[in-house]
Amino acid sequence: MKILSPLPLSVAAALLLTTAAGAQTPAKEGTLAARTSTGVANWTTYNADLKGSRYAPLDQINAGNFKDLEIAWRFKTDILGSRPEYKLESTPLAVDGVIYTTGGTRRAVVALNGATGELLWQFALHEGRRSAESPRALSGRGLSYWTDGTRRRILYVTIGYRLVSLDADTGRPDPDFGTNGVVDLKTDFDQDLGDLDTGEVGVHSAPAVSGNTIIIGAAFREGFTPKTHNNTKGYVRAFDVRTGKRLWTFHTVPKPGEFGYDTWLNKSADINGNTGVWTQVSVDEELGLAYLAVESPTSDFFGGKRPGNNLFGNSLVAVDLKTGERRWHYQLIHHEIWDLDNSSAPLLMDVTVDGKPKKVVGLPSKQGFFYVFDRATGVPVWPIKETRVAKGNVPGEWYSPTQPIPSKPPVYARNGVEEKDLIDFTPDLKAKALTLTSKYVLGPVYTPPIVSTPEKFGVINNWAQGGTNWPGGSFDPETGIAYVYACGACISSTGLLPPPAGLSDIPLVVGVAGQPVTMIKGPGEGAGADSPAPAAAPGGGGGPPRLAVDGLPLVKPPYGTISAIDVNSGTIKWQVAHGETPDFVRNHPVIKAMGGIPRTGQATYQIGTLVTKSLVIAGENQFTTTADHPRGAMLRAYDKQSGQEVGAVFMPSTQSGSPMTYMIGGRQYIIVPTSGGNASGEFIAYALPGKK
Amino acid sequence: MRALLTLIPLACAVAVAGTAIAQEAGKSVWQGIYTEDQAQRGAGTYAQRCGACHGAALNGTGEAPPLIGGEFVSHWDTMTVGDLFDRVRTTMPQNDPQSLTREEYADVLAFLLKNNGFPAGGQPLDKRSEVLATIGITAEKPAGL
Repeated sequence: MKILSPLPLSVAAALLLTTAAGAQTPAKEGTLAARTSTGVANWTTYNADLKGSRYAPLDQINAGNFKDLEIAWRFKTDILGSRPEYKLESTPLAVDGVIYTTGGTRRAVVALNGATGELLWQFALHEGRRSAESPRALSGRGLSYWTDGTRRRILYVTIGYRLVSLDADTGRPDPDFGTNGVVDLKTDFDQDLGDLDTGEVGVHSAPAVSGNTIIIGAAFREGFTPKTHNNTKGYVRAFDVRTGKRLWTFHTVPKPGEFGYDTWLNKSADINGNTGVWTQVSVDEELGLAYLAVESPTSDFFGGKRPGNNLFGNSLVAVDLKTGERRWHYQLIHHEIWDLDNSSAPLLMDVTVDGKPKKVVGLPSKQGFFYVFDRATGVPVWPIKETRVAKGNVPGEWYSPTQPIPSKPPVYARNGVEEKDLIDFTPDLKAKALTLTSKYVLGPVYTPPIVSTPEKFGVINNWAQGGTNWPGGSFDPETGIAYVYACGACISSTGLLPPPAGLSDIPLVVGVAGQPVTMIKGPGEGAGADSPAPAAAPGGGGGPPRLAVDGLPLVKPPYGTISAIDVNSGTIKWQVAHGETPDFVRNHPVIKAMGGIPRTGQATYQIGTLVTKSLVIAGENQFTTTADHPRGAMLRAYDKQSGQEVGAVFMPSTQSGSPMTYMIGGRQYIIVPTSGGNASGEFIAYALPGKK
Repeated sequence: MRALLTLIPLACAVAVAGTAIAQEAGKSVWQGIYTEDQAQRGAGTYAQRCGACHGAALNGTGEAPPLIGGEFVSHWDTMTVGDLFDRVRTTMPQNDPQSLTREEYADVLAFLLKNNGFPAGGQPLDKRSEVLATIGITAEKPAGL
């Protein structure tokens, strides 16, 4: 369907303005001047390639000199929006000397000189209320590049869910694409979103562009306290890269008559939403398959309105790149009620299993399982056993009696919170932890949520933010080893309560006994550049105790790890605690009295890894102040084979997006997206000292 | 906003300068730099304007981080109360920054300081960033205070 309705005036005006600015020749001259093919190594998609590797075979920066890295240039994103951004998650691309990235609270697109960081051009849509209402604000994860050898395009999705195609040299919208370079993703969606400003959908991920096909996912507001179970469905669509014409749609929630519809009992597929693909889509161009890591249906912790296994919720689905038809699927969690939604880009790896070459897809997860399938057939490489799990007692809930548990590789991150996981630096701390947790339910992975009561506030868990989140994993295509960060201490308590009248049509939402149930909001909503004033929230004091013991984390270290998973053998080759021990732990009297403890790593869900010829590289997400360095964070390099740290360099801010690397004129650079604390978004490019 | 734009690119330098000033002036967040009344007012404002994202008990919800505990305090270690004040004032609430009065922001800050174990005192927290920039935040109580 062609988009007939004209763009809103504000957007049209913005387009005109931007076009006028972009038309000035200096932008093009600057871009052309920055373009080079001399000594260049490129990073042309969000994950370095469509297989999700985050790998570049560069070795100028290596174990011997990593510590010598210095800042080559910095690019602050403050001006790319009406206010600074403190959650910069975008990974830039590098194409022939030019850096392209999104940034800022406006999610603007910029082209930078890759050697100097100089701004070459800037583009942004001013989307007004539509942006303000978006469930996915801020700079997003990045953008995509496409060329047919002649035309060169930058593609990205705005905060207001519009797909835009820009000329890579000028930043001007491509007049042949959609309507004046823009496709309104809220239309032609096989469902009616009603008002296009308020219709609930957005996305952070970068488009997956393969050949002439662009694949776009969808994301929604957080699912702790949804207004309705019947919100937008997260269909996945493909568009023609030249025209913007829709090519196909995959119904992640099946329509009547489609495969999987009967896994929603009582026709509940008709009245439930979400089930989007908010993480990156990976593509095997040889097999002609796109891999969709589908998230959970509405809501995150209560599924009473959607009895049944709920395909394709929490499934890995392989679809035909050209038609969108399902080739295979595997549901990783049946009837998901833990917010353990698929978070990571599928990793398309070529490995050798039992002496035979095998094309596999690996999927890291919040629940610490690394799932591995033959990526042509969907057959598990190692048995995944349907395992009986505890049945809960939440009124109106429907429970799957079993869940699939991989037999190999071993679990690589804490995925339950039990007594054995509690802090035990001293018997006193352990005793206090047991007293504290007596007011909660503890249990292994897939312990079901409970209704919150004064006796048991909730289940202590690492559901929403534990394990591996949106940064996903990385891998070395030469060795078949995956490198995956995971949080081991991103814990919270989750209980359910009935919402007050008017808040939600779902019988039970997240709440704590004794506290008013209120709409929980996240930075992804109402956070964009055009957001209006908020309505006042009802008050409420007190609350259950913090999940900490004498100021120390409730659970044992490690708080964050990087694991090397050998996907040839299904084993963990090495695992290291990633990140300096937090100040409040390192300086704690108990820890000092113990004479210190080994490095604990840090609890965060923001860490993505970069893999080069010899190194695994990742920064820290927390500020520390140590004897070795003033307040800041370290960018660390590990030997790929052993996991041994071989170098670290100081960062004035913390890593908040995944790093990337490239080369211009024979010089290798590493860009780290940083933000946090009082430091607003900034791309920091590192290189070795010496002449450019 | 101008102050922020000036501060941010020099985050490191400001941190060092801020610490130096704080040390010269001898002011510390451990010296009772807000009043109980102020923190109590801040609790009300927090519940109205901050709690929907950061949680009634400051524990954080979803992606909004906790504003209580070791990680929060470590995050601001060696910075100044002025740094924290301007971060909150210029960016929060995230959907409408600078929509509270300076007095209200100071009240909220007092509430955060109280909840993180920093003592109350006889003088209310100032509402001027430049004055708050002379008060150092240290996670550990300095010897002698």
